[in-house]
Amino acid sequence: MFRKSRLFMATAIASTVAFSAHAQDNSVTIVLSEELEFVEPCMATKSNVGRVLFQNISETVTEMDPETGLQPRLAQSWEDMGDGTWRFHLREGVNFSDGTAMDADDIAHSLVRVKSPDIACEIGAKVFGGIEITSNIIDAHTIDITADPAQPILPLLMSLVTVTPQDAPLDSFVDHPIGTGPYTFDEYERGQFITLSANPNYWGDQPTVQSATYVFRADSAVRAAMVAAGEADIAPSIALQDATDPAMDFSYPNSETMFLSIGHAQAPLNDRRVREALNLAIDREAFIGTVLANGTLLATAITPPSTVGYNANLKPYAFDPDRARELLEEARADGVPVDAEITLLGRSNNFGNVLETMEAMLAMYQDVGFNMKLEMVEVAEWLERYAKPLPEDRGPTLIQALHDNANGDPVFSMYFKYHSNGQTSGLAYPEVDAMIEEATITTGDERTAKWSELFAFLHDEIIADVMLFHMVGFSRVNERLDFIPTIRTNSELQLSQIQFK
Amino acid sequence: MLNFLGKRAVASGISFVGLVLLVFFLSRLTGDPTSLYLPLDASDEIKNQFREIHGLNDPLVVQFFNYMGDLIRFDFGDSIRRSEPAIDIVLRGFGWTLQLAAITLSLVIFFSIVLGSLAAFHVGGAFDRIATFFSLVGASAPDFWVAIVAIVVFSVTLGWVPTSGTGSFAHWILPVAVLFIRPFGLIVQIVRGSMITALSSAYVKTARAKGIKNRSIIFVHALRNALLPVITVIGDQAAALLNGAVVIETIFGFPGVGKLMIDSILQRDFAVVMAAIVVTALAIFLMNLVIDILYSILDPRIRY
Repeated sequence: MFRKSRLFMATAIASTVAFSAHAQDNSVTIVLSEELEFVEPCMATKSNVGRVLFQNISETVTEMDPETGLQPRLAQSWEDMGDGTWRFHLREGVNFSDGTAMDADDIAHSLVRVKSPDIACEIGAKVFGGIEITSNIIDAHTIDITADPAQPILPLLMSLVTVTPQDAPLDSFVDHPIGTGPYTFDEYERGQFITLSANPNYWGDQPTVQSATYVFRADSAVRAAMVAAGEADIAPSIALQDATDPAMDFSYPNSETMFLSIGHAQAPLNDRRVREALNLAIDREAFIGTVLANGTLLATAITPPSTVGYNANLKPYAFDPDRARELLEEARADGVPVDAEITLLGRSNNFGNVLETMEAMLAMYQDVGFNMKLEMVEVAEWLERYAKPLPEDRGPTLIQALHDNANGDPVFSMYFKYHSNGQTSGLAYPEVDAMIEEATITTGDERTAKWSELFAFLHDEIIADVMLFHMVGFSRVNERLDFIPTIRTNSELQLSQIQFK
Repeated sequence: MLNFLGKRAVASGISFVGLVLLVFFLSRLTGDPTSLYLPLDASDEIKNQFREIHGLNDPLVVQFFNYMGDLIRFDFGDSIRRSEPAIDIVLRGFGWTLQLAAITLSLVIFFSIVLGSLAAFHVGGAFDRIATFFSLVGASAPDFWVAIVAIVVFSVTLGWVPTSGTGSFAHWILPVAVLFIRPFGLIVQIVRGSMITALSSAYVKTARAKGIKNRSIIFVHALRNALLPVITVIGDQAAALLNGAVVIETIFGFPGVGKLMIDSILQRDFAVVMAAIVVTALAIFLMNLVIDILYSILDPRIRY
């Protein structure tokens, strides 16, 4: 019996050693929180897809660097030709991983493909929603791209368009992506792993990491344990309570901003005093270091401080429950139905401790006299109540949301959230619409000033929402790696930037 | 027997159609999946195109008859989430679930019958007390907690087995061990109770008077008669395992059908939900049939 148990243990240990052996040498294992539904480059703005494909397999024409701004990638330079047209000069000698040369035809095809209604690409809808894009090929390595209406930040928009070969289908997703990136897509064993390996024909420098395996574990504690046990090298996202090892765990601003979206159409939320009371009733500081991580920042706008036009002069609303009560009494005296029941709508599993955060806010609101109830719903139901068309019979509602903008410009957020035609806008103010439209078409310092002015107007004048926190994410990184997560880690993970110590 | 099997097949067929009908309409009540799969700012044109591609623009009754027509041809439709045939996804997951259930259940049956029988033979003794204590702890321990503690102790601290995943023999040890605990605790108690009754029967006393060895009395004479309620409980446990061990699959990264089913419900991936339920229902129907046949083998008084 004893010999049998020893044999059993020896077999188990041998298997473990065999398993962890691949996390050695110049390969890395990355443990993600969810499996990829698609391995389609035109869906790479979805964070789980982007962390595998974006700039690893599929590259973009330009590249946004949070430190240095917009940089060349497949284009070496670009220039504004006027009338909404930008000319891009492409890098020569770039090949796709199947050996075919990349040229202007591939860029033109990629632009058509991301907007193809037959496949409904995330990138097409997110970057070019409401914009007509046409291409004119000047020569094999020069292409004019025209946006209608004109987009002064077209080169920035091109930092999100993944380039696929011109034979990539317009009516279906690919299951084996081909790109120009430093890695090739080797295998996807559904439910288990994805493997990439270095592209020997890459146009740039050969990366240090020669191969990567992605595995999927839904539980944060398990992801953290895998890195601790040496089975994985990077867990890009772990929960606050699992980030317990200072030697391996990194916190970083994850580009997500938490806020309560106010529907301005319903009473009593259509009253500015009520909206101010909603802001004054929350003790924001009390959340940090308790249910939210240390390092979480108080927000005054929907985009993080690294975006163009972020208004550093704005001050978060102070916690002042007495003033909140006074404002509610003033509104009541003027006939505003401040006793109407307000729904505080939260999204289940949106981030760690979301339920605790929402319950604490509910208690703060009830304490100053709001008649409020909390509803926590799954993502599908939340979307139906957050995005237009909104339910006809909805009552006054505060909707908790996280908004992600790591792209450096508010244009990716402001129309969508605050223009009266925006898909998730709870506002209908002609002056806000005009300010968004003006800021969108300006450039340089003027653009910065206009966005800054809009942020102030939304925060101080009309009190558009209850701005809460710029969130912090946690990653666990094996000590053998020289890699520090950044604001981009929330949406991409460039293997070529990883070094070994 | 053939008559019985025929009747069971007809009854199960009716239940099966009812189940498909119920799940089809209940799942559609959760709402339109379009908003889940397209960006929030997708245009109405793109949204409409998406609904058209996935047949969501038709009236619900038309969608149902289209689905049933396809089902007769064993076409379960394509997953919205993964753009591949739903049945392929489900069978892939079900294979893992079936292996996990079969290995775990085999171990549970063996150990719980042996330990439950021995505990019943020594009622009130040290062995009985220890077996009862551990079985009660096992039956009541929350498996997500046991799983995390097991990973921390055996994988991170001791480094004996992998934390999670698949790929080698060692990967099976923790999931099977954690999944084993609860049904083992429950079935040991059932075996013990049933065996205490069987061992106090007149035929056991007669066997003892004839000088038959204890091992034969327990495992040949008493056990067979004590097994009927045990098989019923094993059937329940097996059905639960075939539905997928969601917690175990989630924590250990096992690509089984349980987590797939939950994810598909949350993602409104109707084709996968339907395929998973159809496959699971068929498996449970077959398992119940086997249990019924086992009843008649164990107790010849049962005739169909």
